[in-house]
Amino acid sequence: MNSLLPLGTRLPFDGLDQPLELTRLLGGGTQGQVYAVRCGAEELALKWYFPSCIARDPLLRQRLQQSIRLGAPNGAFLWPMALLEPSAESRPLIRCQEPGFGYLMPLRPSGFQGAHLHAGGRMEISLQNILRACFHLADAFHELHLKGLCYKDISLGNLFLRPGDGAILICDNDNVAIDGQGAGSVLGTPGFMAPEVLLGAAKPSASTDQFSLAVLLFRLLTRHDPFRGRQELAIRCLDEPARRRLYGEEALFIFDPENPANRPDPEEHAAALLTWPIYPRSLQQLFETSFGAGLRQPGMRPLTGQWKQVLARCLDHRHLCQHCGEELFHSGPCWSCGHTNPAVLQLQLPRGQVAACPGNDLYPHHFDGRDSERLDQPLAQLIGHPTDPSVVGLRNLGATAWQGQLSNGQLLEVEPGKTCNVAALQQLSTQAGPITPIRR
Amino acid sequence: MPFPNVRLSNRPLHFIYLCDCSGSMAAQGKMQALNQAIRQSLPGMAEVAEQNPEARVLVRAVRFADGAAWHLAEPTPVQELQWRDLEAGGITAMGEALELVAGVLQSPPMEERALPPVLVLISDGQPTDDFDAGLSQLMRQPWAQKAVRLAIAMGHDADLEVLQQFIGPEPSGGGKSPRRPLQASNATTLAQYIQWASTAVVGAASMPASRLDDTPQDAGNIPLPDLPPTLLDPVDDVGPLVW
Repeated sequence: MNSLLPLGTRLPFDGLDQPLELTRLLGGGTQGQVYAVRCGAEELALKWYFPSCIARDPLLRQRLQQSIRLGAPNGAFLWPMALLEPSAESRPLIRCQEPGFGYLMPLRPSGFQGAHLHAGGRMEISLQNILRACFHLADAFHELHLKGLCYKDISLGNLFLRPGDGAILICDNDNVAIDGQGAGSVLGTPGFMAPEVLLGAAKPSASTDQFSLAVLLFRLLTRHDPFRGRQELAIRCLDEPARRRLYGEEALFIFDPENPANRPDPEEHAAALLTWPIYPRSLQQLFETSFGAGLRQPGMRPLTGQWKQVLARCLDHRHLCQHCGEELFHSGPCWSCGHTNPAVLQLQLPRGQVAACPGNDLYPHHFDGRDSERLDQPLAQLIGHPTDPSVVGLRNLGATAWQGQLSNGQLLEVEPGKTCNVAALQQLSTQAGPITPIRR
Repeated sequence: MPFPNVRLSNRPLHFIYLCDCSGSMAAQGKMQALNQAIRQSLPGMAEVAEQNPEARVLVRAVRFADGAAWHLAEPTPVQELQWRDLEAGGITAMGEALELVAGVLQSPPMEERALPPVLVLISDGQPTDDFDAGLSQLMRQPWAQKAVRLAIAMGHDADLEVLQQFIGPEPSGGGKSPRRPLQASNATTLAQYIQWASTAVVGAASMPASRLDDTPQDAGNIPLPDLPPTLLDPVDDVGPLVW
C-alpha cells in the first residue's frame, strides 16, 4: 500500500509542540490511513483522511474537535486526542494534492483481536469472557449516551476483544456526534442498522445505537445473526435488496416468541440453536424485546442500563456442569450434555447472589445499591484450592481483614490476599457488608 | 471452557479473473505486470476474506487468447491460492471467455445460495471473436446479472466500448467510476486497481461496510467502494505509456 504520509520521517503539525515520528503504516480503508507514530516517548496512532472522505463529510473536523473537547466516555474507546493539521513545513511532504487533516488517538495494545474473528469461530474465548465483553460494551455505550453523544456505527468491525479477560476496545470514533444533531454522513453498517435507518426513515441516534448494540450483543453471544432464519434460505443471492428485506422491510427475529416463521434451520443455522439455550430467560427476554417490539418502536428498546444489569447477573449465576464441565448460567439442565445439576452453593450478598464457582467475582455493586454495576476492582474472588480444585475458596482482594464464623461456631480472620474455604463457612463480615453462604 | 465450536454459516463468494493473454500482452512486460499485480494482491485479499465471517472467498481465473480456457479451474480458497504465471500469445477470444464463465454461473455447478459473484475482466485490446454472443450468453445467467462486473483496460489500445458493455450501462455524469472501465496506463495503477478489486470490492460484496448518506439510489445491487485515490500518482491517466 502506498502511504500518504512519509514513513520514517519526523513530521511537524500545527497544534502539536513536537514533531511526530511516523514509524509504520498500520492499515488503510476507504476513509484514510492509520499510522503508528511516536510522540516523544509515547506510542500513539494517527489517522489521516483521504480528500474524498473530507469532501463528503464537511462536519468531520468540527465533530472531531467536539469529541476531543468532551473527552472519552471511558477507557474502552480509542478516542481522538488531538486534531492534526499539516504545518507549512509538513504540507509539501504529504503525497496528496489536498493535504487534508487527521487525528491522534491511543495505539491499540497487543492482545486485542478483531471481534470478527470471534464471529467467524476463530477466537479462543470462554463464555464468561464473552459475557464480560458484552457487559463492557453495554457499559461503554451507557457512558457515551450519558454524555449526550451517539456513536452511529456500532458493528463487529469497530470492536476488539481481549480473549484472556473479555476487555474491549472500540475504534472508529470519528462518527460520534451529539445525539439529535444530524451532523455527519454515516448511516451505519447493514445488518446492524436499525430498520428505520436502513429504510431511510430516520438518521442514526442514541435510540438507533440501542438497536445496533442489541444486534452486536446477539452476534457475540450466539455467533449467529438475529434475523437469519428460514427466511434467509429463500434468498439465493444475498445482495443489497435482499438485505433490505431481511433486516428492514420483512425483519423477523429468529426467536420471536409469537411468530415462529423465521426459526433457525437446524443445518444452516446450527450455531443459533446451540447457543441460545445457554442464556437465562432474563437475557433472552431483552433480545425478544429489542427485536420484537423494539424493531418498529424505538421507545421499546432496552436501555444500556438494563443490559448491564442483566449481563452482570448472568455472570453472577455462572457455575460448571458437574458432568461435562461446561459453563452454565441458569439452573436448568446443561445446554451441552443435558445433565441436571444439583443446586450450587450461593453466596448471599446485600444486593444479589453469586454462585460459589471458581472464577466468579464479588464487586462493590453486590454490596451497595448506590454503586452501578462494574466489573473492574473486584472485592473478592472465588478460586479453587491449588491442590484440590474441588475445594472452593473465597479470596480477600480488599485492603482490610474479614471476620468469619464457621458452622461449628469457630471464628476466623481472613487477611487481605488470604482465601477461606466456603464449605465450612456460616458467615463472613467484611467492610463492604456481610457474605452468607446459602445451602439448599 | 471455550465458547462452543460453532460459527455463523457463510456463503461462497466466487471471484473470477478473466485475463487477456493475447500476443500484445507480451509487449513491454504487460503480462508480467499483470501476474505480479495479481500475486501481490493475494495477501490483502486473504486478509479481507478472514475479516468477513459471512463469506467463503473462492478464486478462479480464465485466460483467453486464441481460445479461452480455465487457468485456475477449481474454485480455490484465497488463503490457499498460489498464482501460476499466465503466458501471452495468440489473439483475443474474449467472447469465448464469457461463455466459459457463463457455464459455471448456472446452478449447478453454482451453489443454490451465495453472495454476489465478482467478475474482473482485464484486457489490452479488441475481441477477435463474437463478443456479443459471449456476453449475451453470460447475461442470461441470473448469477451474472447479480454479479459485480469490473473491467480494467491495460494501456490505451483496449476497447473501452466492449468493456463498458460487459460492466453494464454507463453511469451518468463524467469522471471516474467503478462502473466504467478502469484505465491502467502503467504497472503501478494496474496493481492499485487489482488490489482494490480484490480487497475493497470483495469486502463490499461479502459483508456490508459502513454506509454513508450519499450512497446513490442507482447504486446497483452492491454499492461499490470508492476507487483508490490515484492522486498519489499524478501522472496517471495523462499518458504517456510506460509499457
